[in-house]
Amino acid sequence: MKKNFRFFIALWISKAAMLLQKLLGMNASYFPGKLAIKLCPDFLGRIDKPETIITVTGTNGKTTCCNMLLDILTENGYDVLNNKAGSNIDAGIASALIAEASLSGRVSKKLGLFEVDERSSKKIYAYVHPNYTVCTNLFRDSIQRNAHPEFIFSFIDSSLPDDTHLILNADDPISSRLKEGNRRSYFSIGRLPTDRDECVNIINDMRMCPKCHATLEYEYVRYHHIGKMRCPVCGFASPEPDFLASPDWKKGSFTVKTHEGEEEYPLVSSSVFNTYNQVTVVAMLRTFGLSAEAIAKSFSHLKIVESRYTSVEKDGVEVITNMTKGQNPVACSIVFDYIRHEPGDKEVVLMLDDLTYKKTTEIMTWVFDADFELLEHESIKRIVACGVRIHDYHLRLLLAGIPEEKIRCVENETDAPKELALERGEKVFILHDLTTPVMTRKVRDGILEELDRREAKA
Amino acid sequence: MKIEVLFPEFANLFGDCWNHRYLKACLPEAEFIETSYCSQPRFASEDVQLVYMGAMTESQQELVIKKLLPYKDRIQAMIDSGTVFLMTANAGEVFCDYIENEDGSRADALGIVPLHAKRDMLHRFNSVQLCSFENMELVGFKAEFSQLYGDNAGFGFAGVKYGIGINKESRLEGVRINNFFSTSMVGPFAVMNPLFVKYLMRLLGVEDPVLAHEEVIMAAYNKRLEDIKRMMNSK
Repeated sequence: MKKNFRFFIALWISKAAMLLQKLLGMNASYFPGKLAIKLCPDFLGRIDKPETIITVTGTNGKTTCCNMLLDILTENGYDVLNNKAGSNIDAGIASALIAEASLSGRVSKKLGLFEVDERSSKKIYAYVHPNYTVCTNLFRDSIQRNAHPEFIFSFIDSSLPDDTHLILNADDPISSRLKEGNRRSYFSIGRLPTDRDECVNIINDMRMCPKCHATLEYEYVRYHHIGKMRCPVCGFASPEPDFLASPDWKKGSFTVKTHEGEEEYPLVSSSVFNTYNQVTVVAMLRTFGLSAEAIAKSFSHLKIVESRYTSVEKDGVEVITNMTKGQNPVACSIVFDYIRHEPGDKEVVLMLDDLTYKKTTEIMTWVFDADFELLEHESIKRIVACGVRIHDYHLRLLLAGIPEEKIRCVENETDAPKELALERGEKVFILHDLTTPVMTRKVRDGILEELDRREAKA
Repeated sequence: MKIEVLFPEFANLFGDCWNHRYLKACLPEAEFIETSYCSQPRFASEDVQLVYMGAMTESQQELVIKKLLPYKDRIQAMIDSGTVFLMTANAGEVFCDYIENEDGSRADALGIVPLHAKRDMLHRFNSVQLCSFENMELVGFKAEFSQLYGDNAGFGFAGVKYGIGINKESRLEGVRINNFFSTSMVGPFAVMNPLFVKYLMRLLGVEDPVLAHEEVIMAAYNKRLEDIKRMMNSK
């Protein structure tokens, strides 16, 4: 697409808006792009873009993967144009390009890395032609926006160009079928001791063969529909991986078997979910051409972003904040399973309300898709539900089989610390939504103060 | 008492499985039959007292129509004789005349309910609902790509106080034909409406129904009712 007069007007006005926002100390990551697209609807098609573009999409893990990819590429000398500071919809990508573009609309950076919201695929891929697209996984997400995985699958599948090289999760029978005619590289984590023969989760959106509708047989299920499966009737099966990972939690590393041999990388986290994120990054960067040594070196000092996970210890109690996206039942269930398997006694503070809905009534169907049953374990001593929808959580916890005596409910989140036992040696998990960072810090600090108070009394 | 859950391996989007799971908690003596897509529905060969089906994807709706079409007369006879059916979200569309896509193409449905559905896959409609049914108030949510069209005046399920009916212009939600209840409200409709669960239990012959976790479920219901009424009055 050529640049026209309308494009230049949109570019100059949006650049001026970006400058003004920056002068006012505002985050200019979304509005300038929105303005440019409003003034010139095909703005994304007309502005110059880097020669090589990587996009990362999927229900869970895309932000973490993008952050890791950006850190590793930057460390290895690449100057990467990216939308980390902004949103992952078309306006966010437009803002990232506007920030880098000259007044003539030229962009000098050669490599672009964009996180792409699944629901924005059509608007973005109509103009942005990725060389590589990573899809981490596809699960149920917000029902208001994303409906169901089949809908999101068809949205991405019909939007991506036919010559984009896909990096796909072989363990996800939904997303692994994206763009079946495209070049692709599959990643996988081999069978783990914690894998099960049958799905224990409420959600498994791949029980029926998509080809012949027979019931699928799983060799093993990791969580939800993630695992290795085959159709006993038509032979449809999980694809063979090009990057097969085997984590060694005790050693703190994972090996990846490729067509060329075996590579070893340090783990940045002990969760299966974050290991998937790392394996995704390895598959992407090895396909891109980065060496295993360079990737491993970067992994050795990478950390998960603080807003998503923090840990502080006081008087023998470890207080952990863990972002657990409300409205996203799979993300919640994965965190619940992680807590269940953590060693030692635990207490859990649930503050999963999406504050966007505080003055209205939030669609609560996701609470019934999330596996609160996983919190029913002898090592989980107490669960404190907080927020305006405590009765819904109370009911859900009871339906999950959690004994009434383990449940506490407080409408005001700052009252949660008083409800905790805070026994020496235990871990307290504060599970919070993306929209509640300030309240999360308040509750964490409240627990630390409560520990001080109890210590002073003793 | 036999309660049949149709195709629970996929007709369970949006927490809909809790409609039958909660009923099971309230009716521990009842036999719950979970019929998979590869099996013959149990109602085809024996009496069941309640048939439940929940939300599914659009392609699965079309598979379910094919699956149930051979049992259309049996289903009609069961409805006529007062068997209880509960259909939530888009499950009820399967029983309508047809489902129309944006391009005008149609999938013929069972033709039991004289309405038709229209899909609009690029526009998802979301709403909070407050409806009245007999002497109770029903609460819930809609999150849908499709809506029903036609006149349900003679067989609507519930009057709408807040939200919409079978489509944006309608003030009458769902379908009720004898004891066939269909609502496009999604998710754990039964869990959100404990008074309706008691009503269903009475239809199933339970004289003095007691709900599982009654105190807590009523508190959740009353809180949601209060929230929705506040929203309604602030408009």
